[in-house]
Amino acid sequence: MVQKDLVSELRTGLVWPPMCLFGLLVAAVFSFQMELLADQRIQIAGGLLWLATVFAGMLVLDRTFAAEREEGCWHAMKLYPVSATMIYFAKFAVNVITLAIIQLILIALFVFVADIPLFKHPWAMLSVAVLGNLGIASAGTILSALGLGIRGNSGLLSLLILAVVIPVVIAAAEATRLICTDDLGDMWRRWIHLLVVFVLVFISAGAALIDFIVEE
Amino acid sequence: MLHATTACLLIAGAAVSYFASTEKTMGDAQRILYLHVPMAWFGLIAFLVTAITGALYLRSREAEWDYWSQASAEVGWLCLTLTIVTGSIWAHAAWNTWWTWDPRLTTVFILWVINSGYLLLRGNMEDTLQSARFRAVVAIIGALDLPMIVMATRWFRGMHPVAPRMEPGMRVMLLISVAVFSVIFGILLVRRRGHLYLANRIALIKQETD
Repeated sequence: MVQKDLVSELRTGLVWPPMCLFGLLVAAVFSFQMELLADQRIQIAGGLLWLATVFAGMLVLDRTFAAEREEGCWHAMKLYPVSATMIYFAKFAVNVITLAIIQLILIALFVFVADIPLFKHPWAMLSVAVLGNLGIASAGTILSALGLGIRGNSGLLSLLILAVVIPVVIAAAEATRLICTDDLGDMWRRWIHLLVVFVLVFISAGAALIDFIVEE
Repeated sequence: MLHATTACLLIAGAAVSYFASTEKTMGDAQRILYLHVPMAWFGLIAFLVTAITGALYLRSREAEWDYWSQASAEVGWLCLTLTIVTGSIWAHAAWNTWWTWDPRLTTVFILWVINSGYLLLRGNMEDTLQSARFRAVVAIIGALDLPMIVMATRWFRGMHPVAPRMEPGMRVMLLISVAVFSVIFGILLVRRRGHLYLANRIALIKQETD
């Protein structure tokens, strides 16, 4: 299923190119609006990075199950001899990979173009990036499954996803800011703990609740 | 029930206006607390009730739980909206601004957005049974998210008062206000659940006659 989704995206290019362009655009608009000194830029870079990531990610998360519904693939997919939980994990894996691509592009842009010291502590940054990615993808995947029953494209899914992932955005942005300011103390660990709890809760909730969404 | 609600509101209004002592620094603006605090509590409790009854619906598939869940979400939405409005009025008097991104204000605002999303979901779906299942899932996800929103926002320093010291008279008045609004909250919940039940019955009869 993961392979199917990746191959389909590579052949059609429906989601990744607009997502990358949108992420770049959001980052560019934010930086145009904020002509700041280097110290001030470092303070807000975490927030900008995660906002750009989550806005670009919305384009992907919104579409997680939409293609299956539009192309009439959903009923065929339910004939696979796998549980709904497996479908959740397959979609979750595709979203993690897709979000990782936009994260790589945005982080490279912030480090090499805007000169933000995100790699001052590479392992710390890697852990924040991975946990933030898993958090957004886990909550986004289960909520995007609601798209299987919602009429048209009302923007309601994006609203729900954005509201639910706010703790991840706040925690990841703050943890990233603390990395940039060389402060990996108690507060940084608290934000990481919050991210870990969010990821564990939402992966478990997603795996448990998907059954109730996909049943006929 | 309408009489009981009106009587409750009159009692609370009279008690808050004439019997509650005036606060020294804030003056009359402080009286809004007697409305704001119960609304905030019930807004929070109502969302938890929505999630719990939503989970019970998923488990039992009895429409009854869905009615309670939906009624609680609607009453809760009203309470959260009033919390934000009364809080804003108080903030304008106390902080000279209608709104600030204080941790508590942010928490309530996010909860209000999730609750609004829950209510909008119903209008955006055709299948009634599917809609009930999806709403239950959103309520559970929102309830799971709530402790994390609280944690994430509390770690920032806020300006919202936390359990301020009150003179005994004010405390009693707050308890009276909470009791009165408990009755109103209960009445609204029961009435709304009745409406939803009847609306569903009418829809079923229409289906059968068509």
